[in-house]
Amino acid sequence: MSIDSAVLARRRLGSFRLWVLALVAVAAFAWASTPSASTSAQRVAHLENLVKCPSCQDLSVAQSTSSSALAVRHEIVAMVAQGRSDTQILTTIEAAYGPTVLLSPSTSGVGALLWLLPTGVFAGLVVTAVVVTRRR
Amino acid sequence: MRRRFVLIISLVVLVAIVGLSILLVTRQPVAATSVPSPLLGKTAPPLAGTALGGGKFSLVAERGKIVVVNFFASWCGPCHQEEANIIAFAWQQRLKGVSVVGVVFNDTIDASKAFDAYYGTNYPSIADPNGTFAFHYGVTSPPSTFVIDPQGRVAEVLLGPVSSAQLNDAVARVRA
Amino acid sequence: MILTWLGRIALDAAFLACVAGVVFQVRTLRGGVSRAGIFAVAALLAMVGAVGVMQFALVTHNFSLAYVAENNATFTPLIYSITGMWSALEGSLLLWALILTALTLAVVRHYREEARDAVVAWATLVMFVVGGFFILLMVGPADPFLHNPARVLQGAGPNALLQDNPLVAVHPPLLYAGFVGFSVPFAFAIAMLVTGRVHDRWPLEQRRWTVLAWGALSVGIVLGAWWSYQVLGWGGFWGWDPVENAALLPWLTATAYIHSVIVQDRRGLFRIWNLSLAIATFAFTVLGTFFTRSGVLQSVHAFSSSTLGPALIGFFALTVGAGVALIAWRGDELRSPVGVDHPASREGLFVANNILFVGFAFVVLLGTVFPLLYEAVNGNQVTVGTPYFAAVAAPVSIVLLVLMCIAPVVSWRTVDAVVLWQRVRVAAWVALATVVVLVATGVHHGAVLAAVFLSVGAAGAALRTLKGVIASARRRHDLWSAWRAPSTGGMVVHLGVVVLAVGIVVSTSYTTRSEVTLATHQRTVIDGQYVSFDGFATVSNALDKQTQLVVSVDGHPLRPAITTFNGRASQPVGTPAIDSNLLRDVYVTFDAVGGNGATSGAQVATNVPAGSVVLGVTVEPLLSWLWIGGLMVGVGSALSFGRRRHRDEVPS
Repeated sequence: MSIDSAVLARRRLGSFRLWVLALVAVAAFAWASTPSASTSAQRVAHLENLVKCPSCQDLSVAQSTSSSALAVRHEIVAMVAQGRSDTQILTTIEAAYGPTVLLSPSTSGVGALLWLLPTGVFAGLVVTAVVVTRRR
Repeated sequence: MRRRFVLIISLVVLVAIVGLSILLVTRQPVAATSVPSPLLGKTAPPLAGTALGGGKFSLVAERGKIVVVNFFASWCGPCHQEEANIIAFAWQQRLKGVSVVGVVFNDTIDASKAFDAYYGTNYPSIADPNGTFAFHYGVTSPPSTFVIDPQGRVAEVLLGPVSSAQLNDAVARVRA
Repeated sequence: MILTWLGRIALDAAFLACVAGVVFQVRTLRGGVSRAGIFAVAALLAMVGAVGVMQFALVTHNFSLAYVAENNATFTPLIYSITGMWSALEGSLLLWALILTALTLAVVRHYREEARDAVVAWATLVMFVVGGFFILLMVGPADPFLHNPARVLQGAGPNALLQDNPLVAVHPPLLYAGFVGFSVPFAFAIAMLVTGRVHDRWPLEQRRWTVLAWGALSVGIVLGAWWSYQVLGWGGFWGWDPVENAALLPWLTATAYIHSVIVQDRRGLFRIWNLSLAIATFAFTVLGTFFTRSGVLQSVHAFSSSTLGPALIGFFALTVGAGVALIAWRGDELRSPVGVDHPASREGLFVANNILFVGFAFVVLLGTVFPLLYEAVNGNQVTVGTPYFAAVAAPVSIVLLVLMCIAPVVSWRTVDAVVLWQRVRVAAWVALATVVVLVATGVHHGAVLAAVFLSVGAAGAALRTLKGVIASARRRHDLWSAWRAPSTGGMVVHLGVVVLAVGIVVSTSYTTRSEVTLATHQRTVIDGQYVSFDGFATVSNALDKQTQLVVSVDGHPLRPAITTFNGRASQPVGTPAIDSNLLRDVYVTFDAVGGNGATSGAQVATNVPAGSVVLGVTVEPLLSWLWIGGLMVGVGSALSFGRRRHRDEVPS
């Protein structure tokens, strides 16, 4: 490299470092200003998205206005007010309405496959890509 | 080495696809599932009205009999699928203290009448003005079938296309 | 009875034409003259005849055909009679086969100069086999022309919900055009494998066909989302329903293919991989057909179950099996002499792109069939719904957006960090500034900030590329050539995707749903939107009678209503009203009426005073960006249809 382009390169990389610094600062600020403890309303909203309306095909209780969905929503609100944890609430609802009422199966047992298999496939794809495309 | 890699991957994919195919081809078509509705064990909400083909129906008047209530619509594929099964069930149980009634869900009267006429439905269907019955029964998608015991309480809720075997089993459970 | 015979004769003729096409293609391969054109025309004409018979029966409400009796009635309007052809299983196969035979003829005509070339001959043979299969389904188990022995005066009726929306005329044909279109790259992939000729111009050539099908499928999927949004009443647009997923699977692998084929053209890499993708895409369309038509998975979109299941699965397994066998056989000969020099070079980033799309396709497939697998193993039932798919889609989309920021501006083969930074610098600073503005205005949602940051970066990369294209077109004093330049369409598609991404993330993060009770002339504020209710109105026309609520949102009039069809005393259907602008959509539904409002047809809420109404109000920010983004994707794919010059950097 000539001296001019070396100087240019250093200046460019310098502006990159400045940008990264600014990015980290903004990200830190955004992270810090999010309210840390989730309010009851947020917890209720989050849980409502995980439970299927018992008489619907694939709508969550948050999305459906049917009477069975409203009944489940009341129960969730009541349980959150009692201070139960998310896992306890979901387990209770599952016991009352059957395993099909949860929109995402529990991760124990066969349900773990839902997360293990994709991880395996993504890892396998990466390995295949590396092996096959390595430069000769 | 590359060649062997390709062969191994091919074999894995082949096994996976064959496995998937076997799984899929051995599946039965969707049948109705028994749903744990909040209504189970409670008194069934009232149902009453003029039947599409004439005559009247009232749930209260059927107290003492097992009543099977089927919410249906002419535009719903699984409803077409199950209609023959319900007709067969209604015929088998006609002298055994079982009543069957259809309730129109989100559909026009003309279309529902045409649906019943086409399949030769042998039980009354009532309209659901304002969707009140559907609302109180918590029905959001047809077909939904409710089995009500002789004391007027909801014994079972089935979501999806029912087979006559499922209905017979449900009725047997109520009698037990 | 005559219609049944006419229709069946037409189908049999079409099938025979495909069989003859196969037989004569075998002869062509052995050195004979090509007669593909004749048989392709014959098959198409026969299918046109079959479709004509069905349309005639539907439009004249001829119930001697069982299909018409089940999907049509004397009061069905003309447009819904016509679209009734694809509203159920057997008729939908008519549409599929019609498009397929038309496409076969297009392929034959396009390559007529090289009809005796081995690759073209084999590809045409495969097209005839595929066409013959789908027509055989109709000749056999799924007969659309089944005679209805009962003398019915009235049909079982059309889908009342579909009477709301003319999109039924556009969405399914576009979807089918996409699905059927993928049989062309499949046919050529098989042909290339069989003949061993992968090194030539074919991959890029196939890209043009794939882009056409991909564009139709993309627009079809977005239109489907728009339709559900307008009609279904819960303000959503995608449910990860099995049939929706079935349409998404080929789209994902086709997107991967469209990208990796560029690398094959430039540097001769990924030969086997691209062939696999072409075969996988077509296999997914067959699998999707199975999900929709077999009744094995519960879905609002599914046709009722039938005996087609085993046939479709058999065809699916056959397709994949043949593809895998061919690839295993030819794998050695297809080895590329070069590799990927640097993981962050453009080739490397395309590899990452493919890993993400194919991996996500696997996840969608797994989530869709998992309930079946679980029940087979366990006996119990389980649901896999939105939370699962969204949990995987989110990180995958984030990484894809990162790739979109860098890949259009990074070089082939090497990575020069200094040059790369110089190219992305402006976009990087603008993206950061945008985030700063958002944080300052109170947006703290991590997903939204990340999505907007990356979207601005990706848009910047796309715009920079477009700027380069326009500049070089101007230098050549041919500004119009910018439209046809290779990257133009793709970058417009990227811009559309960016708009879609921002729309999806913002609307799903900030949607609020509320129910509000309003008396006449009362107004309220919900999420910054002024909503007022000003009374009832009744509107009747030949088709329906509506009880409308005169509602005003931010000064714009809206009429959410309850619609009663045909003016007769029939079941009312809720008709939502949407006030839409670039910033937000307000989705209003007529949920209930107070007192004993028996005349309006709405749900009665007894705890609400008479004359008041209960409105469902959903406010969804930036929702209209989805449709704008979808439109841009469509425009971009149309622009991508232009020819790319094959760049031969690799010794064949």
